[in-house]
Amino acid sequence: MNEKPNVLRPTTTDDLLDIIAGHRSVLPVGNRTKPGCSPCPDDAAGNFDRPALVSLTELSGIIEYEPSEFTFTAHAGTRVTEIVEILKAKNQYLPFDPLLVDAGATLGGTVASNAAGPGRFRYGGVRDFLLAVCLITGDGKTIRAGAKVVKNSAGFDIPKLIVGSLGRLGVMTEFTFKVFPVPSARTTIQVRCRSHDEAIEQMSVAASARWELDAIDYRVAEKTICYRVAGPKPSNDLIAGEILDRSSGNADVISLETSDRYWTSVRELSFTGPGAIVVKVPTTTTSFLELADAFADNSNVEMHLSVAGSLTWLAIQSVPALLDVEKTLGELSLAGLVFRGPVETMWLGQRRRYEIDRSIKQAMDPANKFPSLWPDD
Amino acid sequence: MPTSNDRSKPSSALDELESLFPAKQFFCEPAHLAAFESDALTAFQARPLAIVVPESTDDIISAVRWCAVNQVPFVARGSGTSLSGGSLPVAEGIVIALNRMNKILSLDPQDRIAVVQPGVINLEVSRAADSHGLYYAPDPSSQSVCTIGGNVAFNSGGAHCLKYGMTSNHVLGLKAVLATGEVVTFGGPSLETIGPDYTGLFCGSEGLFGVALEITVRLLPKPERFHTVLVGYRSLQAAGDAVAAVIDSGLLPGALEIMDALAIEAAEAAVACGYPEGAAAVLIVELEGPQEKIKQEKLQLDDLLAQTGAFAIRVAVDSQDRLSIWKGRKSAFSAVGRLSPDFIVQDGVVPRNRLGEALARIEQLSRETGIRVANVFHAGDGNLHPLILFDGKISGALEKAEQLAGQILKMCIAMGGSITGEHGVGIEKRTFMPEMFDQPTMDLMKRLRSAFDPHQIANPGKMFPGREPPALALHGLHPLEKAGVISRE
Repeated sequence: MNEKPNVLRPTTTDDLLDIIAGHRSVLPVGNRTKPGCSPCPDDAAGNFDRPALVSLTELSGIIEYEPSEFTFTAHAGTRVTEIVEILKAKNQYLPFDPLLVDAGATLGGTVASNAAGPGRFRYGGVRDFLLAVCLITGDGKTIRAGAKVVKNSAGFDIPKLIVGSLGRLGVMTEFTFKVFPVPSARTTIQVRCRSHDEAIEQMSVAASARWELDAIDYRVAEKTICYRVAGPKPSNDLIAGEILDRSSGNADVISLETSDRYWTSVRELSFTGPGAIVVKVPTTTTSFLELADAFADNSNVEMHLSVAGSLTWLAIQSVPALLDVEKTLGELSLAGLVFRGPVETMWLGQRRRYEIDRSIKQAMDPANKFPSLWPDD
Repeated sequence: MPTSNDRSKPSSALDELESLFPAKQFFCEPAHLAAFESDALTAFQARPLAIVVPESTDDIISAVRWCAVNQVPFVARGSGTSLSGGSLPVAEGIVIALNRMNKILSLDPQDRIAVVQPGVINLEVSRAADSHGLYYAPDPSSQSVCTIGGNVAFNSGGAHCLKYGMTSNHVLGLKAVLATGEVVTFGGPSLETIGPDYTGLFCGSEGLFGVALEITVRLLPKPERFHTVLVGYRSLQAAGDAVAAVIDSGLLPGALEIMDALAIEAAEAAVACGYPEGAAAVLIVELEGPQEKIKQEKLQLDDLLAQTGAFAIRVAVDSQDRLSIWKGRKSAFSAVGRLSPDFIVQDGVVPRNRLGEALARIEQLSRETGIRVANVFHAGDGNLHPLILFDGKISGALEKAEQLAGQILKMCIAMGGSITGEHGVGIEKRTFMPEMFDQPTMDLMKRLRSAFDPHQIANPGKMFPGREPPALALHGLHPLEKAGVISRE
């Protein structure tokens, strides 16, 4: 992965504590599969306050896994792919489709960037499966929040707060996740639409239908919806049959190989070229349509709609086109987070700030050891 | 902050608060105040200085900002069904009663979300969504009267948490007035967010951060088909083993509930639910989903249950039959009132595979103390609900029952579980917080509390130990429980 600038790699918790104590500012990272979330301008650019990057990849491994509890606990630096394999052996999985698994994403990076894929639609995202977290604060205190059981409402929900916190509220070192049994089979149906409006209408009907679909994604350039059905194969086949019947010849069930390729391309954000700047934009079906309209004639901006309309991925082919995206998102009151790309800012579009942002950062990081979430702070 | 020795400031300041609202929205006469003295945890009572009844978002903001300026404590309250004393008033503070803030502001079937005011009744959301084939999943037993605002504050659960999660898993965004008076919008209409999940942090904050003004909730498609099975066992252990077998099978039931003999006896006496006679425990398993899927999965479930040593298996034949199976379970708590004049309910959580051990320990504690305990629990997620029976008229009985409840909570912590699965900490379990969380974690939670509420005016005395609790009163059923309107989960 990207080894520039220098990344510190503690091999014990004591090492980590020493690094935190020994630097004025630190920024925890994982395997840097989403470098956009930890931009580090060069010293040459005049930024002498650059934080020390601390990668947790050497603090990895599963700590406990009890399949009958539907929970596992693992170090933050553990690669998601390792977790996926261990769970698979017991017919379990993380239903939210963690992103960039093949690319080497870690659990810590997945939580910090809130990286969920198409499966987020059915049972929830990172926030909904994270039960407990161990966090080291800037003053070297170890925080253990949440509980290692699937149901808990004691105390403030700090595990949820750190989802999406981009390593700016503390160094996450351990997590307990809830897992589910893997559905016995999956079937993917592809539906070709004439327009985005038609696609959104169809997707909304399907999302509310009795079928309880597992995932609904939309490849914008091809105007093609993919529905994923999960469950016993005979019932998947019947539901797929009904979807085909309703699609007047514009749909077909795609082969396992093709569907694996499709869902992998979303999960690995490889539906676009490796050089593209990839931005996550939370949307609704309505705001997606506005975005699609705004970028209809812009060949530098590719789009993929995930989670039945809730998540638009923008793939931007050139740095100058980023300016258009920034402007458009702002005009549409949308905000984006850069996952990948050679840019110095994480945030695009609307910035909505409150006093409480500052107070929460202060409460979580009284030593002010971690960079601010928002650059104008 | 005013003290009991200094009533002058609140009373003169109260005149100012009174002037902000028309007469029908401000009450300070004893007769009105009495109605708000406690919530569903009737053991605790406190009389507030005044009640404000907002009829608009601006009313709520004005009331909170007045409290912030004057540093007067406030407790926001919905229907007052908290089982942990979460909406117990503060004697020197005001109550902001949100029942008139009961509008569903929008319901969007295309994106499957609804935006509601905090005083909307839980079940009303599902009723409004019904014609679109949608529903609101979190289903605390009090859902016919409890409000979404209260559900958000206490991250309420229900019988379907293993599969669908709790309230916070269904809240996508909210607008709130914080205890500082700042009005904020967290999250939004999308399932996904960027940046720290403040919405998730606000859910379950027990009213210590501020008051939710508008709440955006996720709606799900209504399950097309249910397969509900009631299974009778000769021992509690056998029922527990059956749960393990279901979990190991790879099925993901919507609900997995167990009741023990004493709870069955109570339910039978109250609603004649027709549970298998002589059962030491009954298990309710419910699958839900599209008919094709249920058709497959029910074969698997029925085969599996047939091998769990059950002496009676009853499959609901239609929706009426399903409701009658659930009736016994849903009525269990209020029904216990028939066995004992008073009871305490706890809701600690243990890892699922230690349920048997936990129940054996509860039984042992019950024997040792001579206090009867009935058990009803969400077996799928390890959430216990021991009902500790006592007679409040007997001197010292309440204290002994509370002692037993405390021992059960300590057991949950020792087993790596939680002191509360869904009722919240409130006033009832606050002394156990430092046992569940270490000092640095408690300190961090206190810092977060101060970030949202530097003057500690939002629902003070809840979640964190420290302040003196209000006087304990006799236990007894909540009036709504007596009327059979609500039940404890």
